[in-house]
Amino acid sequence: MNSSNWRQHMMLGLLAAGLTLAGLALSDGPRASGEGATQQAAEDTPWAERAVRRDPALATVRGALSAGDLKRLVAYGEMLFAAKFTTADGAGRPNATQAIIPTKRRRPSQQMFARLSGGDAASCAACHNDPVMGGAGDFSANAFVSEGFAQADFDTTDPQFSNERNSNHLFGAGLVELLAREMTADLQALRTRALREARTSSQPVTVKLETKGVAFGELVAKPDGVVDLDRIDGVDEDLVIRPFSQKGVIVSLRQFTINALNHHHGMQAEERFGARWTGEADFDGDGRTREVTTGDVTALVAWQATLAVPPTLKPTDARWRTAAASGSKTFDAIGCADCHRRALPLRSTVFRDPGPYDSAGTLRDGESPDGVAFDLAQLPSVNALPRNADGHILVPLFSDLKRHQMVDRTVDRLGNELIAQRFVAPSVFQTSELWGIASTAPFGHRGDITTLDEVIRAHGGAARTSRDRYIGLGDADRSSVIAFLKTLVLPK
Amino acid sequence: MMPRLPRFTCRLALAAVAGLAHAPTAAAAGSVAKPSPFPHDIPKMALVTDTSGIDHRYTGPWEYFVGGGVATFDCNGDRRPDLVIAGGASDAQLYVNRSQAGGAIRFDVAPTALPAAVRKRVLGAYPIDIDNDGRKDLVLLRVGGNAILKGGPDCSFTRAARRFAIAPGRAWTTSFAATFEAGASTPTLAFGNYVDRAAPGSPWGTCHDNVVFRGSADRTPPNYAEAAQAITGHCTLSLLFTDWDRSGTPALRVTNDRQYYRGGEEQLWRLAPGRPARPFRRADGWRSLKIWGMGIAEADLDADGFPEYALTSMGDTKLQVLDREADDLRPVYRDAAFAKGATAHRPYTGGDLKPSTGWHAAFADFNNDARTDLLITKGNVEQMPEFAATDPDNLLLGTHDGRFHEAGADAGIALPTRGRGAAVADLNMDGRLDLVIVNRDAQVAVFQNRGARTQDTARQREMGNWLQLELSQADINRDAVGATILIKTGNLTQSRRVFVGGGHASGALGFVHVGLGVAERAVVRVRWPDGDWSPDYRVFANNFVILPRGAAKARYWFPPAASQSE
Repeated sequence: MNSSNWRQHMMLGLLAAGLTLAGLALSDGPRASGEGATQQAAEDTPWAERAVRRDPALATVRGALSAGDLKRLVAYGEMLFAAKFTTADGAGRPNATQAIIPTKRRRPSQQMFARLSGGDAASCAACHNDPVMGGAGDFSANAFVSEGFAQADFDTTDPQFSNERNSNHLFGAGLVELLAREMTADLQALRTRALREARTSSQPVTVKLETKGVAFGELVAKPDGVVDLDRIDGVDEDLVIRPFSQKGVIVSLRQFTINALNHHHGMQAEERFGARWTGEADFDGDGRTREVTTGDVTALVAWQATLAVPPTLKPTDARWRTAAASGSKTFDAIGCADCHRRALPLRSTVFRDPGPYDSAGTLRDGESPDGVAFDLAQLPSVNALPRNADGHILVPLFSDLKRHQMVDRTVDRLGNELIAQRFVAPSVFQTSELWGIASTAPFGHRGDITTLDEVIRAHGGAARTSRDRYIGLGDADRSSVIAFLKTLVLPK
Repeated sequence: MMPRLPRFTCRLALAAVAGLAHAPTAAAAGSVAKPSPFPHDIPKMALVTDTSGIDHRYTGPWEYFVGGGVATFDCNGDRRPDLVIAGGASDAQLYVNRSQAGGAIRFDVAPTALPAAVRKRVLGAYPIDIDNDGRKDLVLLRVGGNAILKGGPDCSFTRAARRFAIAPGRAWTTSFAATFEAGASTPTLAFGNYVDRAAPGSPWGTCHDNVVFRGSADRTPPNYAEAAQAITGHCTLSLLFTDWDRSGTPALRVTNDRQYYRGGEEQLWRLAPGRPARPFRRADGWRSLKIWGMGIAEADLDADGFPEYALTSMGDTKLQVLDREADDLRPVYRDAAFAKGATAHRPYTGGDLKPSTGWHAAFADFNNDARTDLLITKGNVEQMPEFAATDPDNLLLGTHDGRFHEAGADAGIALPTRGRGAAVADLNMDGRLDLVIVNRDAQVAVFQNRGARTQDTARQREMGNWLQLELSQADINRDAVGATILIKTGNLTQSRRVFVGGGHASGALGFVHVGLGVAERAVVRVRWPDGDWSPDYRVFANNFVILPRGAAKARYWFPPAASQSE
C-alpha cells in the first residue's frame, strides 16, 4: 500500500474492528497532591525543574491518526523518552517497589536512585542510546531484573537476587509487536479449531502449532474441552507470543513501557498504579499524582512503534561486500536462520494501541476512550520492505520470536542466570533479533561479550549444532559470517 | 484465553466517531451517571431473568418463610454450572446451563429431571458426590422428609435415600453441610432442622435436633444405617464444616435462629474421628452469641489459615475474626463487622430505616480486583413490622484498606424483593461471577455480570484478571471437598476452600473463582483434604484451570464458545 491511501485503509480497518475513539488523557490537570496552587504555578514556569510538559493540543488526538496527529504524538513521545524525569514530574517511588504488580515497600526508601534495584535511570534514553536514542546500551546501562516482591532491595550483583540484562534497541519494535499479535492470533485460532473438531468428533485432536513458518510444537484438544499442552515448544501455555525483553516475556510496548517507567524511574502509570487498582492516587508516596497518564503511555508507545526499520549497510569496501554476500549464504547454510529467521510475513501494518493481548493493569481495548491507530506503512523504511506473493510485508528481523534453550552441558556461557522470569527457565531466551546487531555491542543478554564471534561461540543448547558448524568453518567463512552480520546496523 | 467484552459493530463505531468528533448526543449526555467515589470497579449486574430461560418462584406458607435455596453444580459433565432451585409449595426445578462462553446466560428447564414425588416441599439443595462415582448427587432439604438423589448421566436423578440407608426423617430441614472426615470413604452429612411443629407449644422453644450421618472408611457402597448421631439443635438455619483452627479436622459451625429457641446460641461442634460430636463450650473458649442466625459464609480474608465468618441475622451481620491474643488456640471470636464496614444492618437505599433481615451470605470476588467481596441477600421474613419491608440485597465490595463498600445499588441488584438463597457462579464462563437470587413469592433474579460500570451507563469495561480452578481426586472424595487452594500473585496470597454447606439453603460445587487484579499469572498450591500439599502450579490468568491430584502440570479447559455450539 502506498502512503497516500493509508488513512483510508486505516479508517476502514478501525471501523471493521470497532475501535472506540476518543481523545488522549494528555492535559496536565492536577498533578501535585498536598501542595498549593503557588507551587503548582511555579512548576509551570519555563524554567521549572520539570521534564514532562504536556501538549494540550494532543487532547484532540484520537482514533485513526492523521499523519499530522501521528507526528505530533510521536514528537511528544520522543520528548518523554528523552526526558530526565524529576521529582516534580513524580520520579522516585519511596513507598513502592519495582514490581509489575503494585507493591508497597516495607519501609520507605531514602534514596531516589539505587543502581541495582532501581530506580536506576533518570530517563529512558539513559540506557537506550547507542548509537542513537532508541538504540541499545553499553554494559554500564545494564538493568538488574528482579520480581520486586519479597526481596525488592538488593545490593549485590549476585545472580541469585536479579538477572542482569543489557538494554535492547527498539528499532522496528512496532512491526515486532504486530508480528507477535498475528502469531498469537494464529496459534489461538488453531487451538480453537482443534477444540471445535474434538467436541464435534468426540475424539482427541492433535494440532501442530505453526505460524508464519515457525513451529511451536503441538497440542491435543480433548472432546471435553481440556487441552494437553505438554508438547508445546517455545511459547507460553496461553499461546501468547510475548516478543519483548531478552527473555520474551513482555506482550506489548505498552506493558513494557509501564513496567520500565516504574522500575527505572519511579514514574507510575495511572492505568496500573492509580486508584482503580490500588485505591491510592499516589501509590508510591512521592507526593505526586497522575505521574504518567494513559496519553503519556500512548505517546511513548507511538514513538517506539514508529522507530525505523534497521537498514542493511551496503559497504563501500568491495572486499566487505563480497565477504558479506558469502557470509549471508553461510549464515543460512549452517542453520543460523533456522531460528534467526531472516523475515517473517506481516499481514497488516495498522498498529492499534491498546493492543489485543494486554491484560488488566495495561490499558485494554474498550477499556478507555484513549485508543489510537496508525499505519506503520507510512514510514518510508516500512513501505520500502519487500512483500511476498500474498502482499504481506516481509519484516527482516532475523528472529522467530520463539524461546529456546541456550545452554547445554559443555557450552554454558549464556547460562549465567539463576532466577526464572515469569515462569521461563533461567537459560531459556527468545531468539534475539539480529537487525541492528552490528550497532549494539556488547552482545549477549548480559551485554558482556565484546565480539560477534564470541557470542556465536556462546550459543549452546538448541543452537549448538549451528554453533558447532560455525566453529567448523574455515577462517575465511567464519569471517564472512561476521562480515554479513556487520551489515545489520541501526539507523543513525 | 481472555474473553473480551463484545465489540461494537461497525455502525456503532461510526456513531461513536461522530458523537465524539463533534458533540455528545442527547442520549449520551443524558446517560452520564454520577461518578462514584469508590475508586475500584463496580460490576454492572444486569438483570437478565426474562431471557435466561429461568422462570421460577419460591412460594408457600409459614414453613417456607425460610429456605428458598439453589444448588449450583454440573450435572451433565460439560463443566457448565447447572441449577436446582427450590420451589417451596411449588415444584423444585432443574435448569440446565446452555450458555456459551461470553454469551448470554441461557438455561433450559428440565421439568422431569427431579423425581415427581420429591419436587414439592423443597426448601434448599446441596450437591455432593456421596457414592464417589464422579457424578454429583443431590440433597434436597424438605419439610417432612429429605430427598437424597443419586446423580446419573445427563442430569438424571433417582431417589437413593433407601439405597444409602439415609433416613429422610420427618423434620423441617433447613440446612445442610458435608465433608469427608479423615480416613473416610463416604462423606459425613449434617442436616440442620428448624422448629419441631409437633412438639407442645410449637413453635416457641421447640427446636428440632439436628442429625449428623458420619462417613465411614468402608469402601463398599455408602450405607449410613448405623451412622446417624443426633446433636442438639437450636432451630438451625445454616451449617458449615470448617477447619477453624487449621488442624485439618473439620468442625461443624452452626447458626441458629433465636426467634424460636430457648437457651440456644450459636454452636461449634468438634468431630473427632470415631468419636461422637461434642460441642465447644465456655470452658473451651466458646462464647455465647445469640442472633437470628440465617446464613454462614467463610473466607480466610488474610490467608493466615484461620477463616473469618460472616453470619447473617436480623439487624447486624456479624463478621467474626478469630481472636489470637490468647495463649492457646481457642475458638474465641471478635466481631469485626463494624470496623470493616460490613454490618449491613439496615437498607442502604430507599426510605425504610428499619433493621434488615439477612439470609444468604457468600464471599466472592465480583469485580476481579483480588479483594474479597461479600454478598448478603435480604428480605423481610414475610410481614414482620419491626423490620424493613423493602430490604435490598447487599453487594459489599472489598476495598484496598481491608474494609467493605456497599455497592448493591450501583451494581444494580437493589430490587424490592425478598431474597433468600443464592448462587454465585460464572454462568456464562466469561470470567465474571454472575448471580442468581431466589426470592420469596417472586420471580428468581438472574444477574449477568457485564463488567465494570463506566460513566456511560450503556458501556462497561473489563475488570481485573481472574482464574477458575477445578480440583479432582481419584476414587474417594472426587471433588476434593475440604481442600484449600492458595493463589499467590506477587506478595499477595489468597485462599479459597472447597466446601459444601453454609449460605442459606444453597450449596455449590464446581470451579472455584478467584480474582487476580492486575496479576497476569499466578502460582497455585493445593492442600488436599488429607493434608498433603500439591506442587506449585504456574498458571496464566484468565483461564479455567484443571488440577487433578498428582498432576505435574495444570491443564486448561476451554468452555464452548458461541462458534463452537453443539
